[in-house]
Amino acid sequence: MDTIYQSLVTVNPVTLIAQICNLFIQLLIVKIFFLDKIKAILDQRREAADKQIADAEAAKSEANAIKETYEQNMRVAKAKADDLLLTAQKTATARSEEIISQAQAAAAQIKSKASADIEMEKKKAINDAKDEISGLAMAIAGKVVERELTVADQEQLIDRFLDELGDNV
Amino acid sequence: MEVSINGARILATFENVPIFGTVQITQTLVVSWLVLAIISALCIWLGHGLKVTGISRKQAVAEMIYTSLVNFVRGNMGPEFDRYIPLVGTIFVTSIVSNLISLLGIWSPTADLMTELAWALVVFVLITYHKIKASGIGGYLKGFLDPIFVLAPINIMSELFTPISMACRHFGNILSGTVIGTLIYAALTTASYALFHKLGSSLIAAVILAVIGGAVLLYGKKAKKKLFFILGIVAAVLGVLAVITNLGVDYPWLTVGIPAIPSLYFDWFGGCIQAFIFCTLTTLFIKQAAGD
Repeated sequence: MDTIYQSLVTVNPVTLIAQICNLFIQLLIVKIFFLDKIKAILDQRREAADKQIADAEAAKSEANAIKETYEQNMRVAKAKADDLLLTAQKTATARSEEIISQAQAAAAQIKSKASADIEMEKKKAINDAKDEISGLAMAIAGKVVERELTVADQEQLIDRFLDELGDNV
Repeated sequence: MEVSINGARILATFENVPIFGTVQITQTLVVSWLVLAIISALCIWLGHGLKVTGISRKQAVAEMIYTSLVNFVRGNMGPEFDRYIPLVGTIFVTSIVSNLISLLGIWSPTADLMTELAWALVVFVLITYHKIKASGIGGYLKGFLDPIFVLAPINIMSELFTPISMACRHFGNILSGTVIGTLIYAALTTASYALFHKLGSSLIAAVILAVIGGAVLLYGKKAKKKLFFILGIVAAVLGVLAVITNLGVDYPWLTVGIPAIPSLYFDWFGGCIQAFIFCTLTTLFIKQAAGD
């Protein structure tokens, strides 16, 4: 069979139509088996990236909220502690003042009782001394007058003496 | 030597096909189907087994191709024309593969005007659609009378020449590459036979040439003189090939390797740049049509 050639520039409608069909077939194949698949993968990757970023943002805001709550709690706790301390100080001050005043009152009571006791002891001592002195004076006087005086005189004398003595004591 | 430059080879002819009449199955069609199969296989290979994380090298390349394509279309047209990404990508990859398949010694479908015209007509339909959509059918037709009605024929011609010029630009560049490649090949074949028939006419002269070449090569290598080294290589290779020719192996030796150098420009560079230009014009024309 002889080899037959077209001339260099030929208008061949069949080839033209066939080439248009080829172009569309090729277009469909390229689109379905290559472009659409790559596009789907790239879209998936972008979605995944977006999701990760959103997740990270959410985690960050959650962490911030937790931190905020924690700090809030810390502030409340500190305020409470300060309050407690203050109350304790006040209570302690009041208590100590109370104790001191009680102690002072007790001391004053003891002091007054002691001075009353002293007074009584003093009186008792004076009375004892009076009896002692009067006896002594009687003995001295008996010696001095030697029965010249009656009992009545004696007592009168002694009383007067004692009164003078008592004024001086 | 006669050089004949032909279009696509006609592989089969069917007479009396309904509607079409005579249908010729040309190399263009068969190679286009081959290109279609290659690109489809490539797409399926690149597009399967994709993962969201921990991607393979293959997937990285596939994603890079996709991203470059999207950036190209968005850069030229803006994000509202994303639906033309598949079309532009398809035309680009089909053009590249069709242009470069000639490096394998296969007929390039883009060296047939019908291929580019098919693409350009699709683009032309889109351009017209966007023009009508932008200004209405009345506005579109009225545009031909702009600025005065006398210019209507010129306006209609300029409209029709948009796809023709797009197609012819691409076709002409690829065809010129093919033509120049054929011419260079033919010229080198002629030159090669002339040279080696002369050199190989005497076995002794050929051997002497090879030996002298070897000596110069060794001297150039020892003395580190690049000029002598290269001259030695050339002389030695020529001598050896002349000896082989003299012994009865007649082959156009100069066509080995040397045509690859102009092919670097006409096939590789030209092929890539034409695919790029066609896609750029596609995007720009559609954008312009929609923008007015």
